[in-house]
Amino acid sequence: MIQHLTAIWKYRHFLLALIRLDLRLRYRRSVFGIGWSLLNPIAMTVVFCLVFSGLMGNGNWRAYSTYLLAGMAVWGFLRDSTLAGCRALLANESYIRQSPLPFGLYTLRTVAGQAIHSLIAMAVVVVMASALLPGGLNILQGPPLPSGLTPGGWRTFEMVPIVLPGLLLAFVAAWAVATIMAFANVYFQDTQHLLDVGAQIMFFLTPIIYEADQLRSRGMNWVIDLNPVSLYLGLIRDPLLTGQAPSLTLFAQGAGFTALLVGLAFGVVGWLQKRVIFHL
Amino acid sequence: MAKIELNDVGLTFTIRQNKHVTLKEYLVRGLLFKSVAQPGLSVRALSGLTLRVADGDRLGVIGHNGAGKSTLLKLLAGIYPPTAGVCAVEGRVCSLFDITLGFEPEASGWENITYRAYLQGESPASLKRKMAGIAEFSELGDFLDVPVRYYSAGMMMRLAFSIATAIEPEILLIDEVLSTGDLSFHNKAKARMAEMMSTARMMVLVAHDLDTVRSVCNRAVWLQHGSIAREGTPDEVVDAYVRSVNGGRDPSPHVGGVTAATALAAA
Repeated sequence: MIQHLTAIWKYRHFLLALIRLDLRLRYRRSVFGIGWSLLNPIAMTVVFCLVFSGLMGNGNWRAYSTYLLAGMAVWGFLRDSTLAGCRALLANESYIRQSPLPFGLYTLRTVAGQAIHSLIAMAVVVVMASALLPGGLNILQGPPLPSGLTPGGWRTFEMVPIVLPGLLLAFVAAWAVATIMAFANVYFQDTQHLLDVGAQIMFFLTPIIYEADQLRSRGMNWVIDLNPVSLYLGLIRDPLLTGQAPSLTLFAQGAGFTALLVGLAFGVVGWLQKRVIFHL
Repeated sequence: MAKIELNDVGLTFTIRQNKHVTLKEYLVRGLLFKSVAQPGLSVRALSGLTLRVADGDRLGVIGHNGAGKSTLLKLLAGIYPPTAGVCAVEGRVCSLFDITLGFEPEASGWENITYRAYLQGESPASLKRKMAGIAEFSELGDFLDVPVRYYSAGMMMRLAFSIATAIEPEILLIDEVLSTGDLSFHNKAKARMAEMMSTARMMVLVAHDLDTVRSVCNRAVWLQHGSIAREGTPDEVVDAYVRSVNGGRDPSPHVGGVTAATALAAA
């Protein structure tokens, strides 16, 4: 385990150079450049906002759109890292056939690229939450959301350091899942299609377009309690929006679940790293 | 201290009818037909290899196509893990085979030099010193600013060879079937290889040109069906190999065989 990580550290220059390349290629010859990383979440937010803000957000579009974009940014990172990460070993086959590099490096390449991408979206979320939520530059009209999304303004910026451990946990978790799925995808190439379907389902099972309390009030607690994605939303999105630090219990749950994923990933790597080359 | 130690190493590939099984197929077959295990064909690429290469050794590997020579190199490079036995390789390895693999097609030649050099374990500081040398050796000039996607196979080969040979390896693994572009570059590449062979602390060379084995190596092994048929001094092993090629399995030399052998060796 330590060995695997030190091996990745040894090739950090290689990894960083490739991540830089990926980022540059992604935005090359595009008019919006880095703006593309925002287009998808913003477009989704606008659409959902138009359709659902009356239904889910009590007509309070400022709070609802911020809530949506924040959820979408976190969710988008987890989904894209998993979907892109599961192709990492196949995409880097030519390197694998040439040098014995640690396999975690290839998934890290993908996930780190996605993370940088998502941090831009997160930055927009912070600015938006600060400006649109009550207490910020604009005073909201209309009734507040049930869970009481009150602060904004400077409070949002104060929350940024408190959210950092959550971001780190999400990053590690995404890396672990991507690694597991990348190995699975080598053996069963329909893994990526299954993940696509799975992500679609998870999106609606996760309190992103609706609020957790709306489900809880209807006695559907299990949807949230059994859904690990809501852990990361609770650690990243909710503090930014409510101005309240996550409870230690939630933090412990998030750390515990992430540790579980990391353990699984190392298990898979240890189990398959000597065999996967024969299946590529 | 460079060291290669193979202890009773075996490597078995399992070849499947379909390269990839889908999960759906796997489940359907498992549930309905109860025969998940696909009838894979086992191919023993290497078996029972015991080999020690010490500092200063220049080992030549000869044998028929499919005898396991390239597989042995890949095993030593750490790309294939052994499926049996223990394979210990210590030292900085430089492998000269499949070197055109793993270019980033969208990146320029310069950038690919960086990636490849980092992949071979260079640091930004040590690369800086070598960068100009690599570029010069490749003779690609302004083409280095162009994405590698637009390179011809020969240009790719030049770039790959220039990078791969820029490091000072402790263990040098070479597949001789390395074609190195046009004639002028080929001669230059040959000189560079000769230089590397003389400076590397240890070398394993897979060769079809038996003369090279005689002149460069101080030890040789003859691989047959994945195991060592003969091991010893280059002359001894090459002679035995040539005899078997010419005279079937008959090891005793006869006049016709010897002349043919010398002709083959000279070719």
